Amino acid sequence: MPNIKYSPLHSLHVKNKAKFIEFGGWTMPFSYKGTIKEHQFVRQNHGYFDVSHMGRLLINKDYLQKISSLICSDLIELKSGKALYSIFTNEKGSALDDVIFWKYDDYILLICNAANTDKITNYLQTEEIIFEDLTEKTALVAVQGPEAISNLKALLPIPDSFSCLSKDMYTYARTGYTGEDGLEIMVNVEDLDDLISFLLQNEIEPCGLGARDTLRLEASLPLYGFELTEDISPVEAGLKWTLSNKNKYRGSDVINEQIRTGHHKVLKKFSIDSRNIARTGTKVKAGNINGIVTSGNFSPILQKSIGFVLLESQPDTDLLEFEIRGKFIEGNILKKRFLS
Amino acid sequence: MLMVDFQQLNLDRRKMTEKKYLETHEWYSLTDNTITIGISDYAQGELGDIVFVTMPEVGQEFSKGDSMVEVEATKTVAEAYAPMDCVVVEINSTLDSEPEIINSDPCGEGWMVKAEVKNLDDSGMLYQEYENFIS
Repeated sequence: MPNIKYSPLHSLHVKNKAKFIEFGGWTMPFSYKGTIKEHQFVRQNHGYFDVSHMGRLLINKDYLQKISSLICSDLIELKSGKALYSIFTNEKGSALDDVIFWKYDDYILLICNAANTDKITNYLQTEEIIFEDLTEKTALVAVQGPEAISNLKALLPIPDSFSCLSKDMYTYARTGYTGEDGLEIMVNVEDLDDLISFLLQNEIEPCGLGARDTLRLEASLPLYGFELTEDISPVEAGLKWTLSNKNKYRGSDVINEQIRTGHHKVLKKFSIDSRNIARTGTKVKAGNINGIVTSGNFSPILQKSIGFVLLESQPDTDLLEFEIRGKFIEGNILKKRFLS
Repeated sequence: MLMVDFQQLNLDRRKMTEKKYLETHEWYSLTDNTITIGISDYAQGELGDIVFVTMPEVGQEFSKGDSMVEVEATKTVAEAYAPMDCVVVEINSTLDSEPEIINSDPCGEGWMVKAEVKNLDDSGMLYQEYENFIS
């Protein structure tokens, strides 16, 4: 294992009395005042997350075609100034990583999962795509919540939803991972002070990865390593909407076949009414179809247990039976998002 | 001059409030033949936000080391074990609707179970010893 990395905001987190965890090779804040409190800050007001552990790769526009042949979404037709969620797929049509692109006139910024940064940088090198790794030269901060934009207006011009801009030392997009409005802002490490002052002056609450996880789960968003892996395709993960790439791309044959036949694993959302959390790895049955919980936790907004389950095939019932520490607990498949 | 019998005061306080702690992070306090059981402040801190508690039923019997209470937190799930052989006589039903009390007051309002002792085993650690154990 290489040395554990620290965020450029680490000393601020220490000052804020963060509890730390190790995540994707980084020491990052897990919580400050408590996961549920932080969750509520973001749902009701605003909060900020240090997401500097995520990989940030600057790619010249010359490689647009080549990148496009490795992902399931249409990056070529995407206009400059727009952000795109997409998935790098392997030969099996499964996910190498799920990523965000910010497309500018001359370059693309690729933001990947911390645990996959090495994998993606090696992959791009193998594919002879030249990039600059900005991960350790910059910080990435996500400011999220219903009040986030009205505050951020004082700092930056606000782009439309899923759009990106750059101004002075800031490169940023109106994207996030909480289901709330907000910006994700990248800035060089040496230019961090203004952003930190802004967060402090506006009393934006620091939030840790614990709340980031409950927020993304409640917002029905997948997490790589759980809902998406090198053995789960975008179709299986219920992410058909990402398949906007009309050309051939790595694994597209398999993906198109999955869509045609419908024979594939399926990821479903569930809720449980009893006082149990069905955590990752919990065994599930939907009729005679087996499955496994990929993520599960308590939803602070719904005040009940929710999660994702990966089933071997499409079930013909919405009733689920979870085996939690030797007990059988009932739950239901949800067709809609957890939060409307 | 006000005379206080310190020895008596200490003894009284001890009888009322002295808690003992287990390596599995429960506390218990013994009054007559009844123990009150909860989890330590350290345990609640490690668990993070507690969202559900599954309680035993009144009358349920436990042997030392049996799982008595299941505590679901956002971070993980944990169990509280019986500190000695006992029978449940009362549960803290407030925790049903407000499990977060365990986070805010684990050694007071966040008590979980009162149980009648069947086999006294007062081998828990005093706070000082427990503090050394967790640090």
